[in-house]
Amino acid sequence: MTLPSPRDELIAGAHAIAPVLLGAVPFGFVAGVAAIASGLTPLEGMALSVLSFSGIAQLIVCQLIAAGSPALVAIAAAGVVSLRHMMYSAAIAPHLAHLSPRWRALLAFLMTDQSFAMTVKHFSEPGERRNRHWYVLGSSATLYLAWQAAVAIGILLGAQVPAHWSLDFAVVLTFIALLVPAVRTRADLAAAIVAAGMALAAAGLPFRLALVVASVAGIAAGMAIELGRKHK
Amino acid sequence: MKTWLVILGVALVTFLLRASFLLFANPHRFPHAFRQALTFVPPAVLAAIVAPGLLMPQGAFDPTLANPRWIAGLVALAVAMRLRNPLAPIAAGLPALWLLQWAMG
Repeated sequence: MTLPSPRDELIAGAHAIAPVLLGAVPFGFVAGVAAIASGLTPLEGMALSVLSFSGIAQLIVCQLIAAGSPALVAIAAAGVVSLRHMMYSAAIAPHLAHLSPRWRALLAFLMTDQSFAMTVKHFSEPGERRNRHWYVLGSSATLYLAWQAAVAIGILLGAQVPAHWSLDFAVVLTFIALLVPAVRTRADLAAAIVAAGMALAAAGLPFRLALVVASVAGIAAGMAIELGRKHK
Repeated sequence: MKTWLVILGVALVTFLLRASFLLFANPHRFPHAFRQALTFVPPAVLAAIVAPGLLMPQGAFDPTLANPRWIAGLVALAVAMRLRNPLAPIAAGLPALWLLQWAMG
């Protein structure tokens, strides 16, 4: 088996991510529009995107800044929606354990839902694995650049999008597109239903704490179903 | 000033969560229950964001026909369950919302 060169892996990764860009670019555009709509300056909106590179976290933070939430609440909410990255981190750590800390920090910084899914798939394929981190870099760096370009366009054109286009609804739709494939088992479904119900029931809580309460309740429901299944 | 504090805080938190097991901890040293709880984070968090977006668009619970968002959301859900393309729910849900808004005047 020949070892693909770093360059081969880098290009293969960039190619493989191309279809994902079709979904990420409109989402990035919406994130850019949302930053301006919530009162951030173009520089602040771009800095948030360049430094955090997370559509969901960027949108939640914009919503909370617009609502005048305290800084700590906005940061905590971004943390809650980013908890899933911890799971990804645990899942791919064994594949990348041989890399230097600098490499692992770079790939961690660039991690997304999409590149995580591609990384897991690529490492499960047969063949020589030594240069596969270049594939991860190729796919996630391509997504990073496309995302930042889309956010920049959203920031530049944001003020010109009429309100009746309801572009903010595209954000909810993006979350639906991520939610449906995340529900694979009955326990996942229970987690989703309980979290949705709690998010509505607890909506009156201050500081958008409903998101935190609902997430914890959903996770607990999933765990309960999973335990019940095992004890049968 | 406060906005920059939020931006830097969010940057730090998102990086630390991504780097958690890649840089700082060995996942095998954590109890199985903890790793299992993490697998329920995506369905729970995403559903907790979607539900109010569909049913509380103006901040109050509105499951009536006067609120087109939950209907368009159901269309998007149905499409997402049938088609794997991540663009499909957006391509179906947004025109559905426009159509409903237009029909309601």
